[in-house]
Amino acid sequence: MSAESEKFNLSEWIFTTDHKRIGVMYLIGSIAAFGVAGIMAILIRIEQSSLGPTLADDALTAGQQYNEWLYFHGAAMILAFLIPGLTGFAANYFLPLMIGAADVAFPRINALSVWLFWCGIIVALLGFVIPDTPDIMWTGYPPYSILTGGNTAFYVFTVHLLGFASILGAVNFLVTVIYMRAPGMGWNQLNMFVWSTVTAFVIQLVFVPVLAAAVTMLLFDKYLGTHFFDPSAGGDVLLYQNLFWFYSHPAVYVILLPALGILYEVVATFSKNKIFNYKAGVYGGMWGVVLISGEVWVHHLYISGMPNWIRVGMMISTLLISLPVGLLAISLFGTLYKGAITFELPMKYAISCLFLFLIGGLTGIPLAITALDLHLSETSFIHAHFHYIMGIFATFSVFAAVYYWFPKMTGRMFNEKLGTIGFWLNFIGVNVTFLPLFKIGIDGMPRRYWNYEMFPQFETWHFVAMIGALLVAAGMLLTVSNWIISAFNGEPASDNPWKSKSLEWTHTVSPPGPGNFLKPVEVETDWTPYDYRK
Amino acid sequence: MKKMLATLTGIALVVSSAIVMASESSDTIKDPAEEWQHLWTEVLVDLYILGGIFGALAIYWLFKYRAKDPDAVGDGPNLSRAQVWAWAIVPCVLFLADDLYLGASGWSAWNVYRNVPENAMEVKVTGSMWNWEFEYEDGTTSTYDVDGDEGEKGDGLVVPVGTPVALRMTSTDVIHSFGLTKYRVKEDLMPGRVTYIWFYPKEEAKSWVTCTEFCGASHARMYAPVKAIPQAKFENWLAKRAKEEAEE
Amino acid sequence: MSQSTSAEHAHHWEVSWAPLVATFGALFLIPFAFSAYYVYEDTFLTVIFAGIGTPLMLAGIAKWVSEGITEKPLLEGVSPSGLPYFIVSEVFIFLGFFVSYWVIRLSAGNAWPPEGTPEINMFMPVIMTVILVASSITYHVAEEKYDHDDLEGFRKWLIISIGLGAIFLGCTIYEYGHLLHLGFGPSTNAYSTIFYTITGFHASHVVIGLGMFIAILIPALSGKTNKYFVFCAGVYWHFVDVIWFFVASQVYFW
Ligand code: HEA
Ligand code: HEA
Ligand code: CUA
Ligand SMILES: [Cu+2]
Repeated sequence: MSAESEKFNLSEWIFTTDHKRIGVMYLIGSIAAFGVAGIMAILIRIEQSSLGPTLADDALTAGQQYNEWLYFHGAAMILAFLIPGLTGFAANYFLPLMIGAADVAFPRINALSVWLFWCGIIVALLGFVIPDTPDIMWTGYPPYSILTGGNTAFYVFTVHLLGFASILGAVNFLVTVIYMRAPGMGWNQLNMFVWSTVTAFVIQLVFVPVLAAAVTMLLFDKYLGTHFFDPSAGGDVLLYQNLFWFYSHPAVYVILLPALGILYEVVATFSKNKIFNYKAGVYGGMWGVVLISGEVWVHHLYISGMPNWIRVGMMISTLLISLPVGLLAISLFGTLYKGAITFELPMKYAISCLFLFLIGGLTGIPLAITALDLHLSETSFIHAHFHYIMGIFATFSVFAAVYYWFPKMTGRMFNEKLGTIGFWLNFIGVNVTFLPLFKIGIDGMPRRYWNYEMFPQFETWHFVAMIGALLVAAGMLLTVSNWIISAFNGEPASDNPWKSKSLEWTHTVSPPGPGNFLKPVEVETDWTPYDYRK
Repeated sequence: MKKMLATLTGIALVVSSAIVMASESSDTIKDPAEEWQHLWTEVLVDLYILGGIFGALAIYWLFKYRAKDPDAVGDGPNLSRAQVWAWAIVPCVLFLADDLYLGASGWSAWNVYRNVPENAMEVKVTGSMWNWEFEYEDGTTSTYDVDGDEGEKGDGLVVPVGTPVALRMTSTDVIHSFGLTKYRVKEDLMPGRVTYIWFYPKEEAKSWVTCTEFCGASHARMYAPVKAIPQAKFENWLAKRAKEEAEE
Repeated sequence: MSQSTSAEHAHHWEVSWAPLVATFGALFLIPFAFSAYYVYEDTFLTVIFAGIGTPLMLAGIAKWVSEGITEKPLLEGVSPSGLPYFIVSEVFIFLGFFVSYWVIRLSAGNAWPPEGTPEINMFMPVIMTVILVASSITYHVAEEKYDHDDLEGFRKWLIISIGLGAIFLGCTIYEYGHLLHLGFGPSTNAYSTIFYTITGFHASHVVIGLGMFIAILIPALSGKTNKYFVFCAGVYWHFVDVIWFFVASQVYFW
């Protein structure tokens, strides 16, 4: 508990190159983005709770402001909250600790990365201040994004800044894991979370640049008059969509993999158990996902009029994703088998995630089947699918991470009672919000619709969903305030309150000081982060 | 006068095609909506089984392996080399089998979606911000104005019961999408390209086409009615529309 | 192959203001200045943003370079291992542009180059190729000198490389001016779209490479160097050179 005596020093924080502090700054930024985007979500739900305009007097205003909210909600949740929350915060703070390193390979580049991320958030938030708020949805399809009066440039720069932050992170962490593991630590002794981060960053390194290229072309088309996406001058309308999803499908695995990695850690610790079939999970599951992730993007273009053969081909490749993800599911669920399970708050989140993962993942299967998707695409069924897997499962895994490592990061304990109330509000709330969306999606409720006067029968369900969202808002507020209050006033925690076997718990204090470990870490050849039986 | 003639030939065409239609039993045509429903049920059963197995196991284990005392540790199995491989290959083979089964069913449904019956009636669809325009084989057009006064909004897309309808679609500005929930079909409209879908109205019904690709401030109000009415009524309607248009 | 590094490291919080300052410089210089100029068409604002951004960025880079030269890194000599990963991502961004080019070009069929394309002088890319290859060779010579502790020779050959790079950029500027004069601007047709985007994007990499050279040269004038930095700049420069072969062969000669 070294931090007790330390005085808060602002310049030591903002100029820091220490991976733990950078991790914390990533966390603060991504939670801020989550908060603002969450408020947008509440506005969206209120607007949808009645047939016509709810929060505006006329249809045009209602449509315009709804689009601006929804743009920010989608873009910020994915690009500024989840991806940085998982690959910025969690990877930064815990990966070096888990491999016994003093810091990352390039600490200054790491600082550069977090400030690029913050600049991305600043640009995104400035969108609300400027007169021509972006209104193009997080997908930004041309020609609309080029013809609109909204400020598409801010969208592009947000993507550039966050993307570049991610690429630098990828370089940094890949090199760190390759060269800075503690002496004696072999590839099969890495934490699952370390592997999941490595594979996520491999995806980022290869695919983010393609997205950067795509949005750059968008910028040039809109502001320099080029014709990449303009069919009347020889451009190709569908080019952008292909490039965009070539990145943005793999991006969902940049979210899925670290989220699963966190769950492996939490489930293993609270089951006091080893990972079931570690090698199949890592080499079959995670690397399998990396391998297939780049060959399936057309499943987002099933209704876009792509050639028939490619729509069928990518149906097959998309379905094949269930092989590696299935292996991950088996090794994750199998870790419960013959465990000694306890149910502390991080584990509550983790367990709920197991089921949310099943619902969210399995509902991807009908979407993958082209013929079924021709009806389901662009309905709220899609919303329900990705909110379950991403908006809830992956988001809850971030919460599980914060709670699980809270004693490590702050040296203090969170308030279990408040946290548990928050958990139940969140869990019940999200299900009340998003289960109805499956139902009305199958019945044809279109996406990105604030207005559904042609389908008045959906009003009840939309209203129910709003109630759910309000429950979630209460739960989230409780959760985040619990973190903030406990970080300063919580009970002091011991260095390893969960009795984990992983290096970040066993070999250093809470919170770790500069240089992480008091003495250099070395591991035995038969050490693993999960051998509880010793 | 020219338009009248076109209308007449159009009607003649439609009538003759309807006669051909009637002579071959109409249920030999497999239509997308039916295929969809069939496939959906199949997939749903599959998913319930998979989710049920995983979910039930998790619940059972969570209950069975609760820690008996605070210092208890887990006793997960040490897998031998052969077991490691078996636990990877066997599930993969099972999942693969399931995927291929789903993929094959999906493919045959897909073929139904993409193969327009010979005798289909063609309608040209043009999307623009934020309006649908339908043009029949004889050149008659129809639209729908969401902000129009009651009774003067227009008819949207009107089709005869019993004839498959093929839509050839394009857009004048941004990307839109023709989403027809009732008939389980959907496809984008793009500037500079023509896409198609088809559906099969088997009984009298009124439904809605909604724009299902984001297209700006009035995206959520880009909709129009789709009415399937009996053949004779349809012919009357088309003739009336043609006359109205000739007068305009 | 793993290494321990924790022990010898200092037990105080490491700080550096360089990343923060450089990032905010970049924020003003690129997103803000671009938006002011192209979105809001306000030249005054553009100048202000660029005026804030440029010194911040330069200060950040200068500080970074001096720290890189004087301070002992956590893990000695790891940057040459990191650079290839960064180059992988660079390759993919170029691929993004090239794929777009191929898609547009192949779907145009025989109607290529589209209407409005003037005769493009094929002599220019040949000269530019020669210059860029020459600069790669001269930088290689500089590295040889450096390896033999001949700092004087290193500086000389480095300056020659910088000169060649600058001439290359000059050629680009001359060519752009010439083509613009003929009415062939970015918005002329699909080919001009591709032409300016890809050559411009490549030129921006030449600028970054030159920036690295200058960042090496300035401290080298007073005898301070970092051998990994020298090495990495070289690898990057060769990479930019290799990319140029694709640019020239695809955009000019196909
Ligand atoms: C974290 C994010 C995340 C993840 C992990 C996934 C995972 C998957 N997604 Fe999802 N998806 C999104 C986020 C995500 N998705 C988002 C954001 C969108 C909308 C974007 C937009 O348009 O705005 C979207 C949209 C989307 C579409 C496009 C729909 C459309 O717009 O028309 C499709 C279509 O194929 C799809 C499919 C899948 C599949 C097959 C998986 C698979 O990876 C799931 C695999 C998991 C399982 C299958 C469950 C566990 C496995 C087993 C229990 C083994 C046995 C199973 C079988 C044999 C089947 N998703
Ligand atoms: C990680 C991703 C993520 C997450 C977590 C969420 C969370 C939520 N989403 Fe989101 N959603 C998306 C990603 C996500 N969403 C995407 C990608 C889209 C598609 C956009 C598009 O179509 O382009 C979408 C679209 C979308 C729609 C579709 C609208 C439409 O198409 O017409 C709806 C409607 O209900 C919705 C609702 C919600 C709700 C109620 C939550 C709730 O769970 C949110 C709860 C959170 C809060 C209520 C905030 C809590 C408050 C605090 C934490 C306070 C602390 C704050 C500070 C300290 C500053 N979302
Ligand atoms: Cu047209 Cu949405
Ligand atoms: Cu996808």
